[in-house]
Amino acid sequence: MKKTVYLTVMGVMLSFLYACANTTSVARVHPEEVKGLPRCAECHTDQWTALSHQTQDFYLKHKIYAAQQRDACSTCHKESFCVRCHAHKEEIKPSDKYKERPELSLPHRGDYLSRHRVEGRINPASCLKCHGRQNNERCKTCHK
Amino acid sequence: MKIKEKITAPAPPGAVKTVGSFLLAFSLLVFSQQTANATAINGDSTTILRMREGVFGDHLFPLYEYLNISASDAAGPGAISLEIGGWGRVDLGDRSFEHRTEGDIQYGYLSYRANRSNFTVSAGRQWVVEGVGTERIDGLYLRSDLIAGLTAAAYVGNPAVTQPDFDGGDLIYGGRLAHSVPKYYSVGLSALRTEVSGDGIREEEGIDLWLHPISMVDITGRSTYNSLSNGWMEHAYTASVTPTEALRFSASLQNVHYDDYFYQVTTSALSLTNGIIVPGEEMWNVGGSVGYSATKNIALSAEYNHYEYDLAGGADYYGVNGTFSTTTGLAAGASFHRMDGSNDRLRYNQYRAWATQKLGPADLTLDFFDVDFDGSIGGRENTFSLAAAAGYDFSRNLRVAADVDYIRSADFDNELRGLIKVSYAFGVGKEGK
Repeated sequence: MKKTVYLTVMGVMLSFLYACANTTSVARVHPEEVKGLPRCAECHTDQWTALSHQTQDFYLKHKIYAAQQRDACSTCHKESFCVRCHAHKEEIKPSDKYKERPELSLPHRGDYLSRHRVEGRINPASCLKCHGRQNNERCKTCHK
Repeated sequence: MKIKEKITAPAPPGAVKTVGSFLLAFSLLVFSQQTANATAINGDSTTILRMREGVFGDHLFPLYEYLNISASDAAGPGAISLEIGGWGRVDLGDRSFEHRTEGDIQYGYLSYRANRSNFTVSAGRQWVVEGVGTERIDGLYLRSDLIAGLTAAAYVGNPAVTQPDFDGGDLIYGGRLAHSVPKYYSVGLSALRTEVSGDGIREEEGIDLWLHPISMVDITGRSTYNSLSNGWMEHAYTASVTPTEALRFSASLQNVHYDDYFYQVTTSALSLTNGIIVPGEEMWNVGGSVGYSATKNIALSAEYNHYEYDLAGGADYYGVNGTFSTTTGLAAGASFHRMDGSNDRLRYNQYRAWATQKLGPADLTLDFFDVDFDGSIGGRENTFSLAAAAGYDFSRNLRVAADVDYIRSADFDNELRGLIKVSYAFGVGKEGK
């Protein structure tokens, strides 16, 4: 009974807060076609300047941008773009799928199988986000 | 929780039926409306044939088909869309993986997005990114702006995970509440819980932030707490300063407590029991980088990272990177990085040089990657790969590309790999084209 009352009150409160928000949604599609790695500061002067993809730390920071403003990512990128790297179960590494795009910061370029024996020990935390609960079926071949 | 046999992406029959019903109902809504201008269907197909030799001399020719389809209708006070993507593989030669055929639905969901308040509801297999939750689920996702700069999101479903060694759970739910002043900041509080038969195997809470108090400063970061192990999993923050459009400084800090961070995984490769991930270890990673765009076509950067551990010895990773492009379609880059661990087995120099040239509808690429290990990795101190790729755009929609990769690695003296890729994009409707 107490739980039902609690959920009802929460639902009413959220409905009220939603009804009063009435903000304009982020555009579904970017108004102008963007080709290549965008330099957002060429047009934007507000917070969106941070999303310039050519900066040296964009690859490091894009997880926070995506978690906070995924709608902004969606104006240019459909889900099919994200799963090129953030896959559920994948057999081809992204850098093998896109050999003709050497300018992209794709993970595991070159002979990474040899190199992962070093990097996996230096910072195993960097492996967990992609391989902790997904894309890890082949790990068992060696990691019994 | 150890599992006895490999299970991939479990979903109870009830959940599958529920999600399937949602997909069917929304599909009917999308395709039954007579709103030609607002309806768009687009997608892309990529067919890939890989060619290589296995460790045991077997000849591997796996053929893959990747297909993504997106259908949307934006005629009403919002947009309804259906997004589906997945792949399938068949082995034309010897068996390349455990099974001769394999496939996966990477995502498949129906979504409604309102024109007001960024209200979104999605049902199906989807990738949720909300604070501490970066999860693929078979379930329901809801998000909306609220009053006074508040934003709320919630999700519930079955975790879509692969489980070679450990159970990944049968129920996941979580949410995020954030407050934003778009020009200055966005701060979020989030939490998630994963259960197996009612017992919690993951309980994480966290704070994430994006601060940009002045236009030249941008700070992002997240702290995550594990309330099952009662400890902080990770603090990770990055600050960037852009004094001029051409110059950017960046500093990052990461702190990871292994006992809390690796508390629940589905693979023994990253578990606290495998002898590689050391229980009780704490890592600090402090780093910085500077990027300089000398002109619009020349970019240079340098980075440095220092790793410090409670138990293991420290390490440094540093390097430089440069790229340039010309108006004649030539682009090239080169980089050098040094990993300087506590012993020879954790030290290497990494060199890379690449170039790509566009010639009308055709393009050619060369990419050389070399690693010199101070110690020996599988009996080898130097490994490299040299890739040559070529592509041709027959039209805006159709592209054919192929590459050859010559590799010397810890496993192969001389390995030759090939790949042929045919990509086709299609679409109807205003947005679809």
